[in-house]
Amino acid sequence: MFDLKKYRKKSPWILHYNAGSCNGCDIEILACLAPKYDLERFGVINTGNPKQSDIFLVTGPVTFRSRERLVELYTQMPEPKVVVAVGSCTCTGGVFRDMYNVEDGIDRYIPVDVYIPGCAASPELIIDGIVKAVDILESKTKEIEKPFKLFKEPNSEDGIINRRDTALKVGEPTTKEDKKNEED
Amino acid sequence: MIEFFLIIFAPIIGGLIYGFERVLRARMQNRQGPPLLQPFYDMLKLIDKQAFILNPYHSILGIMHFFTLWVVVAFIILGENLLYAIFLHLLSSIFLILAGFSVKSIYSHIGANRELIAMIAYEPILIMLAVGFYMINGSFEIALIRENSSSIFSLILLFLAFLTLIPIKLKKSPFDATEAHQEIVGGVEVEFSGLFFEFIYMAKWLEYVFIYLLLMLFAGDSVLLGTVLFVGVFLLINLLDNSTARVRIDHLIKIVLSIGLSFGILNLIGLVYV
Repeated sequence: MFDLKKYRKKSPWILHYNAGSCNGCDIEILACLAPKYDLERFGVINTGNPKQSDIFLVTGPVTFRSRERLVELYTQMPEPKVVVAVGSCTCTGGVFRDMYNVEDGIDRYIPVDVYIPGCAASPELIIDGIVKAVDILESKTKEIEKPFKLFKEPNSEDGIINRRDTALKVGEPTTKEDKKNEED
Repeated sequence: MIEFFLIIFAPIIGGLIYGFERVLRARMQNRQGPPLLQPFYDMLKLIDKQAFILNPYHSILGIMHFFTLWVVVAFIILGENLLYAIFLHLLSSIFLILAGFSVKSIYSHIGANRELIAMIAYEPILIMLAVGFYMINGSFEIALIRENSSSIFSLILLFLAFLTLIPIKLKKSPFDATEAHQEIVGGVEVEFSGLFFEFIYMAKWLEYVFIYLLLMLFAGDSVLLGTVLFVGVFLLINLLDNSTARVRIDHLIKIVLSIGLSFGILNLIGLVYV
């Protein structure tokens, strides 16, 4: 039978999420999809629906409020999937690094495949990044990648799990075993 | 024999129309656009994706929507009864709506709701269309309608009413509030993924075939007029899609019912008395 993997390369559908960005990178992403740079010639559609997309484009230094949604969107995407961090903030935290409300880049929460630098990342770089991401997508398996540092043990009060408190803060140990190791 | 092949390859013909439409829309916006076979690449990719099943009914209703539509297209190609085809098409839409209501997602519910409201707008026009063809040809049989000469001049107002419902069925601006891409993330199709989304995606292609086959009925036995109608309406719909914004769902039903219904009734009254 013919190999289905090569068709992944031909129709990457994008999910774009703004994790507290200043809208600079978002506008550059929209510029990529607009007539001048025309990402649709690679078969890219901006779906806006995590269940039907392949590439996860994230902008912004993950703010404290947006991190749960980031991880939730990531887990809702079916395998195989690729994560692209667009912009300096998303890669490292950028100028917002070490601020009290910022989590210093998405790679503390989900595995990232392509980093695109720049403030704001230029459309040419974004196109390069997406083409690179498409190559990675072809070699991926359907094995489920777990987002690391995802959830701590749910603290339930009267049997109701409070989802707001389940996401981790930066630097907090993930599981009970990690806690034990840290204490040792 | 040729009908048999047409029925088997109906989704592929629909996919080609959809692919060509994406290229045409890109060219209208002065960009290159995806390759012609892009819908088939999407389809082959979706086979390979992981599929989430929320509940069995949701997935099965999606598949039933696709196959019922295929039967509708087969009915029209074989020249069966037009009224049967229209009611069977209604059934296929109802499967999709039931699928939309069978999950807990709010977007899916809104989409299914809007689909129902849009159905109120376009379904009377489709039925009046069948009645109009009956009054001209004395039969609902599509084979007979195809044998007779073109009836577009006596059904001109119904033809205009039919033009208003094409954007609703093909999910085009200005009447794409049922799907509303980034606003309610696709409406009923929001919870479908992988292989099951593929059936919804291919059902969209069959919708193209259904609408354009209905359009061809206006041409009667004239192949030339049929081609002219197809090309003209195809260009017009895409031009409209590129140049208009989305209207709200309550405006949609007001516009389509006021224009479509009044035009349709006027035409039917005219056929009786003139």
